[in-house]
Amino acid sequence: MTTAAPAVRTEGLTVRYGAFRALRDVTVNLPPGEIIGLIGPNGAGKTTLLNAISGFTPIAEGSVHVGDRDLTALGARRRALAGVVRGFQTVRLLERESVLTNVLIGTERLPQPSALAQFFGLPSQRRAHRRDTAAAAEVLDLLGLAGQSHRRVDELPFASRRLVEVARVLVSSPSVILLDEPAAGLDQEGRQELASVLTRIHRNHPSTMVVVEHDVDLVKTLCSYVIALDSGAFLRDGTPAEVFGDRQVQLAYFGRAAGADA
Amino acid sequence: MTSTTTRSRTGTGAGAGAATRGPGLGRKLTRLTVFAVIAAVPPLLFDSYWVFLAAQVVAFAIATLGLDILYGRTGQLSLAHASFMGVGAYTTYTVSSYGYGPAVQLAAVVVVAVVAALVVAVPTLRLSGLRLALVTLAFGELLAWVIRNTTDLTGGTQGASVDPIVIGLLDSSEPVDAYLIALVPAVIATVLAAHLGRTQLGRRMLAVRDTELAAESVGVAVARTKITAFLLSAVYAGVAGWLYAAITGFIAPPDFDLFASVYLFVAVVIGGAGSVLGAWLGAAYIVLVPELFTLAGQPNLYPIVGGALLAIVALVVPDGIVGLGRGIGRRVRRARDGQEETA
Repeated sequence: MTTAAPAVRTEGLTVRYGAFRALRDVTVNLPPGEIIGLIGPNGAGKTTLLNAISGFTPIAEGSVHVGDRDLTALGARRRALAGVVRGFQTVRLLERESVLTNVLIGTERLPQPSALAQFFGLPSQRRAHRRDTAAAAEVLDLLGLAGQSHRRVDELPFASRRLVEVARVLVSSPSVILLDEPAAGLDQEGRQELASVLTRIHRNHPSTMVVVEHDVDLVKTLCSYVIALDSGAFLRDGTPAEVFGDRQVQLAYFGRAAGADA
Repeated sequence: MTSTTTRSRTGTGAGAGAATRGPGLGRKLTRLTVFAVIAAVPPLLFDSYWVFLAAQVVAFAIATLGLDILYGRTGQLSLAHASFMGVGAYTTYTVSSYGYGPAVQLAAVVVVAVVAALVVAVPTLRLSGLRLALVTLAFGELLAWVIRNTTDLTGGTQGASVDPIVIGLLDSSEPVDAYLIALVPAVIATVLAAHLGRTQLGRRMLAVRDTELAAESVGVAVARTKITAFLLSAVYAGVAGWLYAAITGFIAPPDFDLFASVYLFVAVVIGGAGSVLGAWLGAAYIVLVPELFTLAGQPNLYPIVGGALLAIVALVVPDGIVGLGRGIGRRVRRARDGQEETA
């Protein structure tokens, strides 16, 4: 289930929306097994980069490699099955279903019995069901949602709904995890808690985890590596200290966007 | 706290509550008892005409359970569901006219329903909503046209008499026997539909209905899920058509036309989309309510009142009768929830 965390590499990645180039010739190396902060002001192309890596936006030029596999030609679903699972900036949940159902959706990547075996409840279905509910219970417990697992998602406060989506991503222990502002909407305490949970999950299930985040302190606590984008282009990568100490990054990130991004 | 209290707090019947474990043993027994008591009422208390109607409710319940899989859970709007009942009924007619019994009939119905469903589902994969509904509508019209123009084979517009199903001592031309014969597949269909909510297959359907983007992001094959739902719903409809043909003993194109499909859709919406119980309530509604209007000497009122009721349900209780009941239940429970959770 848990493959070793792979390196993720994009090469010359260009994404166009009409005449607008959302990503321009972006080459980044995401070191294997690290928690990587993806930073940059609004419009820097952070979400577009996640979309391009996870297969949710067409790539005009360039390639995406995970480990030694070239995923460029694969659709979003195939990339998910290959271990690249992402969360969305705008939470996408099954609103009228329970927390547990929403998290269990994420077990799709685990080997599931055939549709007929599931429909008729054959033993293979029962085994898969036990495995999946155990995995869901574990991740819900880690995220502090265990008591909510039977609540309908549309009854939950915003911060919890975001955590449900994080749980859906984490439940199958993917080897590449892409989270788009998972801490948005959480208060200071919630952010620190999320950071420690993500760290713990990362320790238990090695993965290459990319987190889009604006909060500099959070990035410094959570991430061992940082990549900065600006206006659709690669700006700088390195340790948090290196990147945040960089003059160009400071200019792009704090100079322009400190107020807008808060 | 037991599974019974936590379960009842969940969302739609389609899967939310059922996601973790099945109902506890106590709850299973309660349900079984309630079902057995309700099921025993028609043959014991009703005269044979109402038993005949009850048998039709049971047959239609299989159809609405199938449409609920397709529409209620997967969110695909089909206006050909009665046509798939027609596929089942006319397959039954054809096979039985060669002298084959119920087992062969049923097998043929399943095969033909699957083939017909593939014919409709595969070309329409990229469609959804009203556009899909229109294409399914075209399929229904095509089927009606085929039946009208193959009088030798299907009886055409005149309709066709279907031989009753005979299993052991049971003969479906007897209302009580027909009722009992229909009950067995209906119970199986119900149990399987309820179990679907506890499977990844069922969850895939909900994900496709609510957010295809999220479904894809975790690896769900959206197209395959839609086809599976279409196939299951068609087989359910086909089996319902098989029973309908045997129970009524006579089938004709209007039984399976656009209006019949619309009524099945109405049944699912009024009963409560995404709910097994709702599918049964809906089936009872579309079979029994027109009879009540006829009984009252006002058969023409049914379409008007029925239409008004549909509008009210759609606007006021989008989750149907079942949703209405759940909403009340939830409000009552919310009051004591706090204590339970800390207990």
